[in-house]
Amino acid sequence: MKRPISLTVNGRAETVLAEPRTHLAGLLREGLRLTGTHIGCEHGVCGACTVEVDGAPARACLLHAGAAEGASVRTVEGFDGDAVMTALREAFSAEHALQCGYCTPGMLVTARDIILRLPDADEARVREELAGNLCRCTGYRGIVRAILRVLAQRRG
Amino acid sequence: MKPAPFDYARPADWSAALALLAAGARPVAGGQSLGPMLNLRVATPEKLADLRHLPGYAGVTQQGGTIRIGAGTTHAAIEDGAVPGRLGAILAGVARRIAYRPVRNRGTIGGSLAHADPAADWVAVLPCFRGEAVVLGPAGERRVKLERFVTGMLATALSPEELLLAVELPALPEAARWGHWKFCRKPGEFSKATACVLAVPGEAPRAVLAALDAPPFVVADASALCAAPEAEAARLVAALDVADPWRAAIARTALRRAAEAAS
Amino acid sequence: MTTASDRPSASEGVNRPHSHASKTGKGVGASLRRKEDARFLHGRGRYVGDIAVPGMLEVAFLRSPVAHARLLGVTKPAGAQDRVFLAADLPEIAPIRAVSALPGFRVSEQTALATGKVRHVGEAIAACLASSRAEAEDLAAACEPEFEVLPAISDMLTARAPGVPLIHEHWAENVFLETRREEDLSDLDAVAAAKVTRVLRTSRQSMAPIEGRGVLAEWDTRLEQLVVTTASQQPHVSKTGIAEALGLDEGQVRVIAPDVGGGFGYKAILLPEELVCCALAMRLQRPVRWLEDRLEQLTANANCREHHYIVTAWADREGRLLGCDVDATVDSGAYSSYPFSACLEAAQIGSIFPGPYILPRFRYHTLSACTNKPPILPYRGVARPGVCYAMETTLDALARQLGLSAEAIRAVNLVPKEAMPYRNLVGKHFDSGDYKEALRRAVALVDVPKVRARQAKGECVGVGLASFCEQGAHGTSVYHGWGMPMVPGFEQAQARFTPDGVLELRVGLHSHGQGLETTLAQVAHEILGVDPARVRLVHGDTALTPYSTGTWGSRAMVMAGGAVAEACRQLGERALTIGAALLQAERGEVELAGGTVRRRGGAGIALEEIARTWYRRPQNLPADVDRGGLDVTAGYRPDPDTGTHSYACHAVVARVDVETGAVTLEDYVVVEDGGVLVNPMIVDGQVLGGTAQGIGTALYEEMPYDAQGQPLAGTLADYLLPGATEVPDIRLDHMETPSPWTRFGQKGIGESGAIGPAGAILNAINDALAPLGAEVFDLPATPARVLAAIEAARR
Ligand SMILES: Cc1cc2nc3c(=O)[nH]c(=O)nc-3n(C[C@H](O)[C@H](O)[C@H](O)COP(=O)(O)OP(=O)(O)OC[C@H]3O[C@@H](n4cnc5c(N)ncnc54)[C@H](O)[C@@H]3O)c2cc1C
Ligand code: FES
Ligand code: FES
Repeated sequence: MKRPISLTVNGRAETVLAEPRTHLAGLLREGLRLTGTHIGCEHGVCGACTVEVDGAPARACLLHAGAAEGASVRTVEGFDGDAVMTALREAFSAEHALQCGYCTPGMLVTARDIILRLPDADEARVREELAGNLCRCTGYRGIVRAILRVLAQRRG
Repeated sequence: MKPAPFDYARPADWSAALALLAAGARPVAGGQSLGPMLNLRVATPEKLADLRHLPGYAGVTQQGGTIRIGAGTTHAAIEDGAVPGRLGAILAGVARRIAYRPVRNRGTIGGSLAHADPAADWVAVLPCFRGEAVVLGPAGERRVKLERFVTGMLATALSPEELLLAVELPALPEAARWGHWKFCRKPGEFSKATACVLAVPGEAPRAVLAALDAPPFVVADASALCAAPEAEAARLVAALDVADPWRAAIARTALRRAAEAAS
Repeated sequence: MTTASDRPSASEGVNRPHSHASKTGKGVGASLRRKEDARFLHGRGRYVGDIAVPGMLEVAFLRSPVAHARLLGVTKPAGAQDRVFLAADLPEIAPIRAVSALPGFRVSEQTALATGKVRHVGEAIAACLASSRAEAEDLAAACEPEFEVLPAISDMLTARAPGVPLIHEHWAENVFLETRREEDLSDLDAVAAAKVTRVLRTSRQSMAPIEGRGVLAEWDTRLEQLVVTTASQQPHVSKTGIAEALGLDEGQVRVIAPDVGGGFGYKAILLPEELVCCALAMRLQRPVRWLEDRLEQLTANANCREHHYIVTAWADREGRLLGCDVDATVDSGAYSSYPFSACLEAAQIGSIFPGPYILPRFRYHTLSACTNKPPILPYRGVARPGVCYAMETTLDALARQLGLSAEAIRAVNLVPKEAMPYRNLVGKHFDSGDYKEALRRAVALVDVPKVRARQAKGECVGVGLASFCEQGAHGTSVYHGWGMPMVPGFEQAQARFTPDGVLELRVGLHSHGQGLETTLAQVAHEILGVDPARVRLVHGDTALTPYSTGTWGSRAMVMAGGAVAEACRQLGERALTIGAALLQAERGEVELAGGTVRRRGGAGIALEEIARTWYRRPQNLPADVDRGGLDVTAGYRPDPDTGTHSYACHAVVARVDVETGAVTLEDYVVVEDGGVLVNPMIVDGQVLGGTAQGIGTALYEEMPYDAQGQPLAGTLADYLLPGATEVPDIRLDHMETPSPWTRFGQKGIGESGAIGPAGAILNAINDALAPLGAEVFDLPATPARVLAAIEAARR
């Protein structure tokens, strides 16, 4: 049975009709046509679906519609004007941190959290924190370097 | 990989939560273990009772020498220092190595214990502290010693009508020594063998060996292990009768290395 | 806007020559940033799953839970008869037959939905339709199939054991194909200084692109055309296959491959699921979509890399190979997939086993075994990772027996640069390269003496090497020889100016991470001088692009790069004619420069103006104008078309924890020669990504099956993909020996990274274990396997 689910997405109040079993990734993609959030495993391992929920990264595939009621969600489409995200995008392109682009939205959400939460992270820590985002294309070197680049920029 | 249909309820208070359970609803907290099981249709509950918004479900309080961690406290909160003192530092180190940050942001200590995967970190580590699980049921609150909480593979001392409310652990002196070692091939992989050793001055050291597809094995007095880690680890693991020789080997290594780290 | 950037930070201590540095910083040789990045970085990519159309139905497949059974029937859920389709309901779909032309090949018929029998876990039995995937899965869960379970072949080595059941009952045995080369090697025992025999095994893997497969089929009533949006690496081949299977004219099928989230070979196939969606879209006159989920991908489609080798090799005292005897078995699964067939891997093992080495004597026998597992597909590197693993570990075993270093035994056997171009004993034709120099550099970069010093102190650490070459962009002659059902020919590209002077390129292959939108623009810039920002690449749509066999086999940059260059050259000729007239100059007096046609050394006229003239001011056209206009399609094939040979040496330092068997990669170096690199940054990315996949092959990835043919790793928590903590900061060094046979000297290099790691890493592990007398043979080298090897040596 579908029911209205109200939540805030990228700063806008939205109400979507969804079954309680629909996960947030499905709700964003099918219900709100925000297709930047990708689905890669639906069991929490790959990280492709990672979005920001109430200010912290979370798996959109493991949060079902009912639980998302009232949440504030930010997706890759919702970071325009965010200085950290702007710097990350620039660095991802400069370091060739993406190929097919499928893992990229989830990577960016995780990367932004690393920058803000762990401003002193070194390469080993960045790699550890990235462990929950799989990329099958790049071999991670460009991604790690892009994050380190932004960390270094912010340390001045 | 879409769940079978289920209904969802968000109880506002504890009695409503218990009533939902009594009517057959399945509790859900962070959804980080239940979520995959729903998506894979391994779990097909008719109704979920979301505990996350219950008053006092998350959070840490201290009364005298006892630290109470609400079942709804997330791994990330513990990683970030929600638990005070020496105990908090130890738990933060454990928390940081559970799954990945986006999972830790939602997964809870209570959900982890209630799920009772023998390989899970809280399941393995908490019995090392002389603590208790606080359980709420139709008959009110009761307490279960943490070493008796997990009773088997995905099995606990909880009845289907009961909820885990909190865990209560004794605060630790700064001088308490701690050793913890687990074997994962990559971060976020469930452990293939976990051991931890806690040595509080003036008390017998305690050890736990876990993640061997069975409930955690508690060594209430681990003095012998701390005195002769190698030989005692070998003896303890041999007694456990672990079928797979590799698992037995890493279990020995885990115990030995945890004991060495605690001494 | 696209801007030229500095090449990304190169690894310390590694020099990177770039002899072909582009003069403008935007052409061939420039590490131009990718034009495609912006859309992906903003979540604006468009993958199949992102496309929803009104009235669309979603499909969930009822899949076989057993590996081998007679399918006695399926009871559809009550009230859902018209939403559940079985094979008998869709007779319009012809079975998939991918027939190798090699003599003796046994033909399998794969019906899009199981008919009579199921032959692997996950085989589709029924298509269930609903307005959401969840409801479609509800229907699938409510179907009741009935089976008579048969014993399964889950180990390829038992495929032809006496008394085993036949998977295809009209066959004489469970074998697609055997190939052999006979040579009597019995005299080598007497003359060789060393002889080793190794029995080696690689695991069955899942290619695991992060995006699964997906297809959306619609029937366009106006054009009477099936429009199939599908995650394909080869849209034109999909179109041909779909048209054949459904009995349509090719013009009635349009295949669109939008953004594709990783291919690696997984999406180079005609899918049974595609055919079902197409038939249903036509039947129901509604859009029909299927999106593969990870459970389907892991349990129904772990389909590559599973090889078994028995290798015997002989060498003289200096380590020179005297001969090899190879018996190889490949688990080809239950059916032959279109277009690469069930025997592409096994059938090429014979021809690629000698690798980059001079091998004087050779006997081989290969078997493509039919088993109750998903049909084999060629994964990045195809048979080469397995072959390289077998050859490289065998070489090290010989070296250990002879007391030679791993470097020394390779150095005496590698084809020397003076011998190039070189034809080996099985007819492989190497174009160019200095294989020994790659070896020398790799060894120098990993600091072998330091590893030896640590070993002397008792540390369990080792260094391992793997040298290999990668034939890429091989064409008609080679694939015809391998008996492939689809033989690539000339690659075509279309180049045209739009009236505003933007250059539009159209190619029939597909870019899914390789960055062709950027690199082909660089090629066009090299020829025409048009700014890459003013070049648009159209690809992945059969209605808009010339036919192509697609992106695979490390062919895109050689083939499409060559074709785009040729189309641009011809387009430039036409622009020169118009430009000369507008400048009132002789044709011979003008040249193309900086996006203009100009009088040599004089004033120029912009290509935009020339385009405007052709389209909008035809009154100004010269009399001798080419009536084809500013629109050219050109075909290209290198000559000879036997392929380019990029090559590499991988060098690894690995540490082993002897208590747990855990392996840590401390250092990883790749020295690589891909000829002229059109975009070095992108090539680095290809090599790094391939190497990460190879690390998965070496250490982590394995789909185990039980004796009943059940796959045992149903989630990514069980099937371990390498993450950022498992892949070290790989150091790259490039050499640049141009291929004499290609347009810019470029070589195919897309698969290369995946080929070397298994050999190099296992050699490093075995080097570390050598003092213990232990050796690991099977992939992946899991902690349990490593520890078992140590224990076995102790006993
Ligand atoms: C990719 C991934 C990797 C992971 N890796 C690890 C790891 O390395 N180590 C590790 O320990 N864990 C790991 N986990 C599991 C994670 O820690 C979960 O957060 C945790 O196990 C469950 O907590 P939860 O709050 O999400 O519980 P939920 O998923 O909400 O619930 C789990 C179970 O407990 C029940 N339950 C929940 N709360 C209560 C309660 N208060 N009273 C009674 N019953 C209750 C539910 O009914 C359900 O059966 C991983 C998870 C994922 C997705
Ligand atoms: S889709 Fe959510 S973690 Fe993979
Ligand atoms: S860029 Fe393709 S999965 Fe990361």
